[in-house]
Amino acid sequence: MPVKNEFDVIVIGGGITGAGTARDCAMRGLKVLLIERNDIATGATGRNHGLLHSGARYAVKDSESAEECIRENKILREIASNCVEDTGGLFITLPEDEESGYGLDYQSKFLEACTKAGIEARAISPKEAIEMEPSVNPALIGAVVVPDGSVDPFRLCAANVTDAAMHGAKVLVYTEFLDFLREGDTILGVKVLDTRTGQKAEYRAPVTVNAAGIWGHGVAEKAGVHIGMYPAKGALLVFGHRVNNVVINRCRKSADGDILVPGDSVTVIGTTSTKVPFEECDHMEVTPDEVRLLLREGCALCPALADTRILRAYAGVRPLVADDSDPTGRSISRGIVCLDHETRDGLKGFVSITGGKLMTYRLMAELATDTVCRKLGVNKTCNTAHTPLPGSMDGRIETVSKRFEGGATAGQKGAAGRQGDLVGKIRFESEEDRKLICECENVTLAEIKYAVRELGVRNLGDLRRRTRVGMGTCQGTFCIRKAAKALAEALGQPELADKLAADYLDERWKGMRAVGWGDTLREMEFMQRVYKSGKPYSYDEV
Amino acid sequence: MQERNISANNFEQCQKCSICETVCPVMANNPAYAGPKRSGPDGERYRLKNGIFFEDSLKYCLNCKRCEVACPSGVRVADLIQQARIDYGRKLPKLRDTMLASTDQVGPLASAFAPIANFSLGLAPVKGVMHLALGVDRHRTLPKYASETFVRWFKKNAEDKQAQYSKHISYYHGCYANYNYPQLGKDFVAVMNAFGYGVHLIEGERCCGVAKIANGMIEAATRDARTNVDLFRESVKAGREIVTVSTTCTMTLLEEYPTLLKVGNDQVRDHIHLVERFLWKAIASGEVKPVWKEDWKARAAYHCPCHQERLGLGIFTMELMKMIPGMELTELESNCCGIAGTYGFKKENYKVSQAIGKPLFDDIAAAAPEFVVCECETCKWQIEMSTGVPVKNPVSILADALDLDKTAILNKPTK
Amino acid sequence: MKFDVIVIGGGLAGMTAAEALQSAGLKCAVIAEGLSLHNAPRNAFRAAGGTLLAGDRVTGGDFDGDRLVRVHTEKLGDVALEAGAFVLATGKYFSKGIVADMDKVYEPLFGLDVEYDADRSGWFDPSFAAPQRFLEFGVKAEDGRALKDGKPLANVYPAGEVLAGICGAQGDATETIRKSGLDAADAIRRAR
Repeated sequence: MPVKNEFDVIVIGGGITGAGTARDCAMRGLKVLLIERNDIATGATGRNHGLLHSGARYAVKDSESAEECIRENKILREIASNCVEDTGGLFITLPEDEESGYGLDYQSKFLEACTKAGIEARAISPKEAIEMEPSVNPALIGAVVVPDGSVDPFRLCAANVTDAAMHGAKVLVYTEFLDFLREGDTILGVKVLDTRTGQKAEYRAPVTVNAAGIWGHGVAEKAGVHIGMYPAKGALLVFGHRVNNVVINRCRKSADGDILVPGDSVTVIGTTSTKVPFEECDHMEVTPDEVRLLLREGCALCPALADTRILRAYAGVRPLVADDSDPTGRSISRGIVCLDHETRDGLKGFVSITGGKLMTYRLMAELATDTVCRKLGVNKTCNTAHTPLPGSMDGRIETVSKRFEGGATAGQKGAAGRQGDLVGKIRFESEEDRKLICECENVTLAEIKYAVRELGVRNLGDLRRRTRVGMGTCQGTFCIRKAAKALAEALGQPELADKLAADYLDERWKGMRAVGWGDTLREMEFMQRVYKSGKPYSYDEV
Repeated sequence: MQERNISANNFEQCQKCSICETVCPVMANNPAYAGPKRSGPDGERYRLKNGIFFEDSLKYCLNCKRCEVACPSGVRVADLIQQARIDYGRKLPKLRDTMLASTDQVGPLASAFAPIANFSLGLAPVKGVMHLALGVDRHRTLPKYASETFVRWFKKNAEDKQAQYSKHISYYHGCYANYNYPQLGKDFVAVMNAFGYGVHLIEGERCCGVAKIANGMIEAATRDARTNVDLFRESVKAGREIVTVSTTCTMTLLEEYPTLLKVGNDQVRDHIHLVERFLWKAIASGEVKPVWKEDWKARAAYHCPCHQERLGLGIFTMELMKMIPGMELTELESNCCGIAGTYGFKKENYKVSQAIGKPLFDDIAAAAPEFVVCECETCKWQIEMSTGVPVKNPVSILADALDLDKTAILNKPTK
Repeated sequence: MKFDVIVIGGGLAGMTAAEALQSAGLKCAVIAEGLSLHNAPRNAFRAAGGTLLAGDRVTGGDFDGDRLVRVHTEKLGDVALEAGAFVLATGKYFSKGIVADMDKVYEPLFGLDVEYDADRSGWFDPSFAAPQRFLEFGVKAEDGRALKDGKPLANVYPAGEVLAGICGAQGDATETIRKSGLDAADAIRRAR
């Protein structure tokens, strides 16, 4: 029986690697299906620092990664202006680093390695460093300026998915990979489950790409091939506001809690690195020890963190390719692993793309797409390095905000920052549309409606990733009920509101529990009161 | 290493409970104002991310500080708003704002030509010009300027007599008592002298700066603040505590100097006393003894001005007034009168200003007192203009209710 | 400045106690950091002639043995407030009646005894909707009086949510809180 292929390529995984691969394939004219078991950017993509690496961190140990990083860094600044902020970065040396062998001698070695990798790095005096970033630990004895920045991974992933769809790709979220369709030594496609309806389906394509991050280990097992993956948990803490405006790194061998990144309206410290069993990857909890460690190291970079409110904690799993000889996982190259299983394992129609990092997602996608094209006999060159992503044609908040006649409101400026030049698609038609639903993050009803209409939002978590709703200091205490109602109505299912709110409250609660003391505990009590005291929270009726 | 997770960044202590929004008099009356929570702590967080989030509507905040009194988390909401206006709103103030704000520069000129100034300020065509050209609302009765300033009167009539007392204080009279209402200064001297305190001017005292802060003239306000703090320090060195009469001046000297103007006042702040607190303490401790007029009687209502609410010292005014045997005093519900210094004088704020004051005006009408007791000079203008009920400063009430001669004899130091 | 009773905290419990005492002829002052939502008892208290120190905050107190003699506030400076009895109605975490560190919960004004779990892991239920253990924590009391170092103080009466076991955040506890305010007022009247 002849098999009809609906697609040229199926991509498993809606993280940044899968999204980038789907975009690249679609731009090269392939018919693409992207499947993701949750929402996009729910794995490691949405659970990292959001650091636009300059590559300096890898310069000494792994010059190849460093060179990749700085190349991609420059590319992302061009194609993803709406997702990237040019904060600049510092690598600081503290007095105690001298004792551990990472003093100013190491700094010279570091500078040299950066220059060799093509990273523009220059040493500045401690005084200059403090002027550049007043929150930096004033005890520093040396500093190097590098072209670090911050990148919003949600936005970047969403922009790739949107662009893939604009180039004809079919995107199925909440669609879980169950198994392969297989004939002998050939993968023919995938069996999937729509996790919301319970419906199963089959899709066929001559090539399937495994871009499932750490879960790619299990996907490969289903195909009967083994990729030795290494689940390395990394925990991070979110602080209540922008404490620093320049990325602060520690100039030493990579260790726990040595990067502090200002991202959107917050600052993030991370990360830890612990090997965890595969079973834990789906429900990670940040432990008190991890919190203590991050705070201790964070305060060494930036003493002000000692008196700054911690909003929440979260953790992700790096999809590293395992090297059993190193128990910490730190010295593993973050290099890209692109496997054509036909040449590696004799299995046709199957490609895995893994390893790498957020920074090099585009390059990973390019390599994977090159492999797919080669297998399909398609001869098209990659254009992703030169084509701006949707929202980033002119993505800077300063320019986009000017589009609003009579001056942008706070909600419109917020939207301009998040949606870039796509902000014109948000319909601010009525007074109601202009009303803020999330006051901490300046999210209007109009932006929520837009996200439902055009960005494939199904629940409040999805909405958060596209609009920051509920990500502010109150962690949703004041907006979840309102946002749930607005979302349920926009979805045309007003009866869903309570369920949407309950799910999102559990998710917010999880991140707050890990840091539940001090001011965060006050907010937690208040949150309980607002949602559980038995009456709607309103001043009018007391 | 942090164990407490209690932020030293004051704005981060905001839990978003939004109670400040329920007490904000502007928010209830001006839809263009985003309210204290969004203009203050919420806005601050986004301004730290990008200055583009500074909103021009912060100018509608009248700095009454009611949000700070209401906040259960100790957030200095109004300070955050004023600070943002200083940091991000650096535009040249309008001529009108400069004129309204420069109380101690316009004051001397206006006093010199007081008859002409008052006459022309009251004329309809002049008011029309000010309304249109300067943006001072035509409905406003501008504060009258006295033809003889308090300082001039003091030097001519009182200064020589002060040496006879055994206790001495410095009097920070402020602009209002000096230029607009010297009688208050005269009453202050009379009361203090009766209680046995010699009164001394603070030579070279500058305006506290509140009006300059409100109108964006930060450099000038900071210069004045430095001068004042230096002068206060000298007074303390000379053994004289500083006594103030205006609640707004006092709040500015105590609170706004270190927080907004970054002028340290640590060495002098415990030596600056609002007169009601100073006298209540002196009488309650028996250090001074009042003799009240036997036939003095009044039925009055106390309006606690916003800045007195913020200072939290209204209790002393109430307790001091209750010491007067003939005083029948009720306390009005705490509400803003709407003037907020120079705010209500601006054309664009007039309507909002009157709407804000309405609940208070209604309360006063219902209480129908002989007069309103209030420590604040601008409240006085607003309440008198809007209700026709006279407003008296507690010091003037004391000057009237005390038998000054007998009090003076009783408090004369026995040698 | 002297009062018969000083109530620390202007929420439902504090205002209910204050109003009951003031109406019974005792001279009361309420120190309320932040505005309360409960207008009715506040207005009644003010109408009865009670003194409300709005926006002020108690910074500490002086003890004579097991008696609290006076409290100091941020705004009143060197003028302390003296009273024969004190109602502590400072609420839970939100209103800082109790404060949580990384590993302990304490009463910040007078160092009163607090009931809480030393092991943090039991403070929270992962489900937001489930009952939350941390909301049960609070000051310990015996016969209506607060405990300090295991012994009851002579004249400090905790009321409302500052008490262990009373919490209005997980369901409507209005009546429990109001009653606890009235109980404190009764205990003070009986003790006089």
